[in-house]
Amino acid sequence: MAHRWGMVVDLDRCTGCEACVTACHAENNIPTVGAAEAARGRAMHWIRVERYWEGEFPEARLTFRPVLCQQCDNAPCEAVCPTYASHQTDEGLNAQVYNRCIGTRYCANACMYNVRFFNFFHPQWEKPLQLQLNPDVSLRESGVMEKCTFCVQRIRAAKLEARAEARELVDGALQPACAQACPAGALVFGDLNDPESRVARLSESPRGTRLLEEYGAEPKITYLQRQGWHEPDIQ
Amino acid sequence: MNRTSNNPLADDLVRPLFHTSVWFYGSVTVLASIVLCGAAAWGYQLWYGIGVAGINWPVFWGFYLTNFVFWIGISHAGTLISAILRLVNARWRRPVTRCAEVITVFALMIGAMFPVIHLGRPWLAFWLAPYPSAREIWPNFRSPLAWDFFAINTYLTGSLLFLLLPMIPDFALVRDRSTGLRKRIYGLLALGWQGTTKQWHRLEAGMQIMAIAIIPVAVSVHTIVSFDFSMATVPMWHSTIFGPYFVAGAIFSGIAALIIAMAALRRLLHLEAYLHPVHFENLGKLLLLMSLLWGYFVFAERLTVWYGNEHSEMAVFWATQRGEYAPLYWTMVICNFVIPLPILALRQLRTVAGTVVASFAVLIGMWLERFLIVVPSLARKPLSYTWGEYTPQPVEIILMVATFAAMILLYMLFSKFVPIISIWEMKVGNQPHPPVVTETEDELAGLWKARP
Amino acid sequence: MKAVYALYTDPDAAQRAVNALRTEGVAERDIVVMSSEPFEEYEFSHRDKATWLHWIAGAGGLAGLIVGYLLTATTQQLWPLVTSGMPIVSTWPNIIIVFELTMLGAILATVVALLITASLPGRLSRLYDPAVTEGYILVGVDGPSEELAPRLDRALASVEGGQVKSIT
Repeated sequence: MAHRWGMVVDLDRCTGCEACVTACHAENNIPTVGAAEAARGRAMHWIRVERYWEGEFPEARLTFRPVLCQQCDNAPCEAVCPTYASHQTDEGLNAQVYNRCIGTRYCANACMYNVRFFNFFHPQWEKPLQLQLNPDVSLRESGVMEKCTFCVQRIRAAKLEARAEARELVDGALQPACAQACPAGALVFGDLNDPESRVARLSESPRGTRLLEEYGAEPKITYLQRQGWHEPDIQ
Repeated sequence: MNRTSNNPLADDLVRPLFHTSVWFYGSVTVLASIVLCGAAAWGYQLWYGIGVAGINWPVFWGFYLTNFVFWIGISHAGTLISAILRLVNARWRRPVTRCAEVITVFALMIGAMFPVIHLGRPWLAFWLAPYPSAREIWPNFRSPLAWDFFAINTYLTGSLLFLLLPMIPDFALVRDRSTGLRKRIYGLLALGWQGTTKQWHRLEAGMQIMAIAIIPVAVSVHTIVSFDFSMATVPMWHSTIFGPYFVAGAIFSGIAALIIAMAALRRLLHLEAYLHPVHFENLGKLLLLMSLLWGYFVFAERLTVWYGNEHSEMAVFWATQRGEYAPLYWTMVICNFVIPLPILALRQLRTVAGTVVASFAVLIGMWLERFLIVVPSLARKPLSYTWGEYTPQPVEIILMVATFAAMILLYMLFSKFVPIISIWEMKVGNQPHPPVVTETEDELAGLWKARP
Repeated sequence: MKAVYALYTDPDAAQRAVNALRTEGVAERDIVVMSSEPFEEYEFSHRDKATWLHWIAGAGGLAGLIVGYLLTATTQQLWPLVTSGMPIVSTWPNIIIVFELTMLGAILATVVALLITASLPGRLSRLYDPAVTEGYILVGVDGPSEELAPRLDRALASVEGGQVKSIT
């Protein structure tokens, strides 16, 4: 049976440390655009930690929500691409083929999560970041859209390795950079088609919700909502 | 030209082809330099990357798409109106059709440039064309941008032919009146037209069919442009009203452009005897109708959103109604509704000058409308963490100004090389008419009466 | 072979000239009438109504429709890529492409048929006179038989206002 990659984000565990963001940058050769460009809204973070304030001071509470490509089954970004640069793979990944992208940026507009990022200029890295570029990941030129791939290079490598050793993939052994870097274990990655996998079991949790589920894009990332441990009635 | 002519109509209408004033060269130089500035701006953007424009995350579409929609809208002046008037056999259309159709062709060419300019990798724009390639991949026909490619190309082809075919007899006239190189060039353009009864019949029958075919194409083009927005589940884009709303807006701005062009031609080429106040009167009424229709659509759209009270849509709604986009929004309402309505509704104000003032207001208002459709929705997508803003950059403004200059330049050059009023169609209508005074209802009805 | 023609300013005179040529026994297809406007309301212009042009347009539209259907449906199956959970052959969006190509087919077929049957581009016939575009109506016969030619001169001249010319 084909894999169907998915993720669970436990909002209760997320501390907002942004280790996932850093790991993602390092793993996927994401350019650093510099402070000025970032201030203009050109920063590229395939995964970001959204920070929301809830309530009024002194009752205010800070909450975090890591948002990355939701790898939707009915991804609104895919059909609008005139060159099939954005399409669905057999394993349920929402793929972005850089070489096919002509830069209409329509996919980024159609995506209600705003998790697609555009190379407004040729990619560059603040020194010495250029020394740690990942040879497994292609660089993207100016004018091309890019986004979270669920670290497809790691998925491919793990599958090849497993095939060479004539064994099945082990749940949990294969992790994208963000999940691997998360100290709190808030990000759980795995095969949704394997009913025994952690991700499949957690995504059935009663705390599970999908981000902007009402749009019907059927995202493959499940958010486990915070438990109301500091609500007044529990206090 | 030395021939003593018994053809004063043709004398009048081909005069611009043979006589050029210093002013013409002056304005062509000025306009051409502005267009060159635009070309340089594009070169600059190609060299440094699309990032020199103001677009950003999450407002990935800005001035370029605004101008795209605006110019495609302007293109709905010509061929569509001309085809409708041709089919209903409105007699007053005769001096209007060609100068309208030219607007369509040039506005389409300019409008179709913007999606290419705005691409991240514009040198790959040809990947939208369906052709068998070594990449073994075809365009994704599910994408509204692929629909755009087909719709705009069909409309451009149709409009160009619709414009060119009735020009052939006029090219023949210029051919017979000129000498030397000019005679050879116009001889080639006239394709050996002699005006046999057979040729006339084929031309008339062909134009009739073209007029029928081009109307649904024109409607489809701006509907598909609206689909670029309404296919995406973005707040206040995802609306079923967008198709007719865009088409109405397109015709609205198109008529405004036509009125301005006609007023300019009338003044600069001394065509007062051909472009009568009555043409401005009639087009003014049409503009009034479109203004009301536009108001109706905006009200229907806004009311539906407000009543539904869906929070992500309301974010966009309030941003345009009261928030940072409110000054632009209310300017749009004033320009599209408050100014044109009294001018066009009162007969005393529906003069040449009055309709021109209303038309300028409408052009400004419709440009703002397109901007307010493209940008605020992207700046207010559902996750409030991702809200953003957009400030146009110099390169975008220069390119926009350059396209306006390009439009005027192309129009001027066209009217210098082609009789801007179809001479043979004027003859059929036994023009020039004695000035028609629309004092009585009978005479007004007569304007619309079909030829026997 | 010679050619005879006359120029008239008045379409009524041109009509009478055409009638005169007919009385002289000139075949309908040999009578050439050229003018700077269609003169739809005159009988002499009614000889060649192209009512079948609509069918050509229809056929062109049909061809465009078939091309549009094949283009969309086959290319989508050549490399079946899934986007947004839509079927590989997505009929709804394809209708738009099919529609545009239908209209394009109809328009192109009309124009091509128009140009071919109106012999455009073509050469100017030797009957052609630049006075036509200045508003004269030319009525003439190209290459009448030797015995007919003089009678045609007279017939054309019998209509008042005609300037009869002949080319040898």
